[in-house]
Amino acid sequence: MTASRRLLPWLLLTPALLIFAGLTLYPLGRTLALSLFATDYGFENAKFVGLENFQELWDSRFFRQAVTNTVVFTVVATVLEVAAGLGLALLLNRAFPGRTLVMTLLLAPFVLSTMVVTAIWRAWFHFDLGFLNNLLRAVGLPGVPWLFDPNLALWSIVLVDLWQTAPFAFLIIFAGLRLIPQDVYEAARVDGAGPWRRFRDMTLPLLAPYLFVAALLRSVDSFKLFDKVYAMTGGGPGQATETVSMFVYRQGFRFFDIGLASAAAVVMIVVAGLLAVVYAASLLKGAGR
Amino acid sequence: MRTIGKALGAVLMLAGLSLPAVAQDRLVIAGRDAGFAPALAKMVELYQAKNPSVKIERLELGGGPLYERLAVGAREKTAATDVAMLDDIWAPEFMARGWLTDLGTVGGLPGEFVKSAMDVSRHDGKLYAAPFVGNIAMFAYRKDLLAKHGFERPKTWSDVVKAAQVIQDKEQGVSGLVFRGIKGNPIVTSFLPVLWAHGGDVVSADGKAVLDTPAAEKALTQFLSFKALAPKGVETYNATELRDAIQQGRAAIAVEMWSSWAGTLDGSASKVAGQVEVVASPGEVKGPAPMLGAWLLAIPADSPNKARAADFIRFVTSPENQKLIALETGNPPTLTALFNDKDLVAKYRWYPAQLEALNVAQARPRISQWARVETILGDYLQLALIGQLQPKQALTEANAQIARALSR
Repeated sequence: MTASRRLLPWLLLTPALLIFAGLTLYPLGRTLALSLFATDYGFENAKFVGLENFQELWDSRFFRQAVTNTVVFTVVATVLEVAAGLGLALLLNRAFPGRTLVMTLLLAPFVLSTMVVTAIWRAWFHFDLGFLNNLLRAVGLPGVPWLFDPNLALWSIVLVDLWQTAPFAFLIIFAGLRLIPQDVYEAARVDGAGPWRRFRDMTLPLLAPYLFVAALLRSVDSFKLFDKVYAMTGGGPGQATETVSMFVYRQGFRFFDIGLASAAAVVMIVVAGLLAVVYAASLLKGAGR
Repeated sequence: MRTIGKALGAVLMLAGLSLPAVAQDRLVIAGRDAGFAPALAKMVELYQAKNPSVKIERLELGGGPLYERLAVGAREKTAATDVAMLDDIWAPEFMARGWLTDLGTVGGLPGEFVKSAMDVSRHDGKLYAAPFVGNIAMFAYRKDLLAKHGFERPKTWSDVVKAAQVIQDKEQGVSGLVFRGIKGNPIVTSFLPVLWAHGGDVVSADGKAVLDTPAAEKALTQFLSFKALAPKGVETYNATELRDAIQQGRAAIAVEMWSSWAGTLDGSASKVAGQVEVVASPGEVKGPAPMLGAWLLAIPADSPNKARAADFIRFVTSPENQKLIALETGNPPTLTALFNDKDLVAKYRWYPAQLEALNVAQARPRISQWARVETILGDYLQLALIGQLQPKQALTEANAQIARALSR
């Protein structure tokens, strides 16, 4: 192989690598560097403080709470959304009258903008006038303090997220389900496998890559949770729904404490990286099997 | 590399925002949304009719996004805004950092404005902004309900609690009082009149954090007692919920009633038209300290159209247009004479009381770090409101955080 032929792939890759470096590596490197400075904007007049910003984050009850909220939300929302997506996919994989209508209604929340979704749910969650509490009161149950009980607020936002984005998980899983050849099931039926056995030993393993992709995409999105919290609770009550994204935004764009915001962003990248490692390990394990 | 870095930073931070304006006969006006937007929209419409050749772009933003746009624009010198609507609490930062144009260099500003609103528009003796909306935190109560249960206008916050308790106990479906409990600016602005009435403060005149005092603790304890008298879920209440609770007759007293919200109290949407009295906040240990919340118009230092911007600001703050804005949109004026204008008083019966309140109004601390201080205080107030911190602990921790913010 000639030298020019060996270099050709690199030459072809160069534009993509340059774009990647400019749009991903440079901001990452800059964020990492800024996290070591006390600065109200960029590097002008910035003072090197080493790891002080990280120490401050460690000492901050608000940041610790934000990390906890973010991780809890990511795990719970992802699991529920993938489970709901799977359930809906199995349900809608069977023919029944009105299936098209049900599917259309099911997908509607996913096409709405998050601001519209939050406006709808804020009205539904209203303690005195909201649709949900009116429904509960109509059957003799007491109203629920959806958004103002610190023990409930995060779960209320999980519920909104589930309503809006479970259809996304459903779409991925439903596509996977439609690709499973029906003759496999017919063979299993001939061999005497019941519905549960077919689901456990055939459907689930064959759907695993789709479930994995749905979980990956939903967890990445959930980890960045910002808009729903911003619009529905502002991070409250107290710090009950504050997420790391909100913490970074407030430090960076409300207070212009760019050093601290960058340090929080670095922590966010590290936690997200750990999540990615878990996924990558699962993926490689699956590929090796 | 440095240039590329700055450019990239600017692009990322200003994603979605306008590109720098080109110097020509045009105006980019960045203003608030919600109740303030119709006032600016009306002025743009009238100014455009008078000046058809000027290309005017009006942006309508929420409080937070507006601050971010203006602050990022000033730091990056984007020259993207010609007229900026500023909350008076942002003004110290913008003026001290040299982000605004001295109005004296672009023809000045005629008119006799309310003194407290004028004071917050000046820095080092120079006028950097024009008072646009004479907003002030008032206090509102149902005079029919208070009279029914033998109460007069509450003079102190203790009187407020007593009246609210009786009304809550005796009037089915009516909460004693209502306030804004959502964290951040809303809960802070609900709390400050109570704090000041008790003789406490957040930041001293010499810029020190002074929140961990017995006076502040008494004020917070009293403020927290309001929760039992308020509608359930008050922790999530903002302006809309507060206004609805009063207008629909679901609450008897509003701890704060901003004058720009009060315009619809006697309107057709109100179930209690004519029954709500709007007055200055009560006192306690000290006399009333109504809080100023004026909105200002200013010209960013990097505006490429300063002369045109100054002309627009003079147009908006002229007596006839201030009156028009008040009549048509309910935004209170800032020119002293208008508070006794017969047409305006006929429509807004509380205007004379509002002028009295404006004349003794207290501005929030004139420090450039107020946005951060307010957020810290709002966070801790809410932790106390939901019972996760005791008043003393909340104030001590907030004070330490505020001291740190002030030292940066």
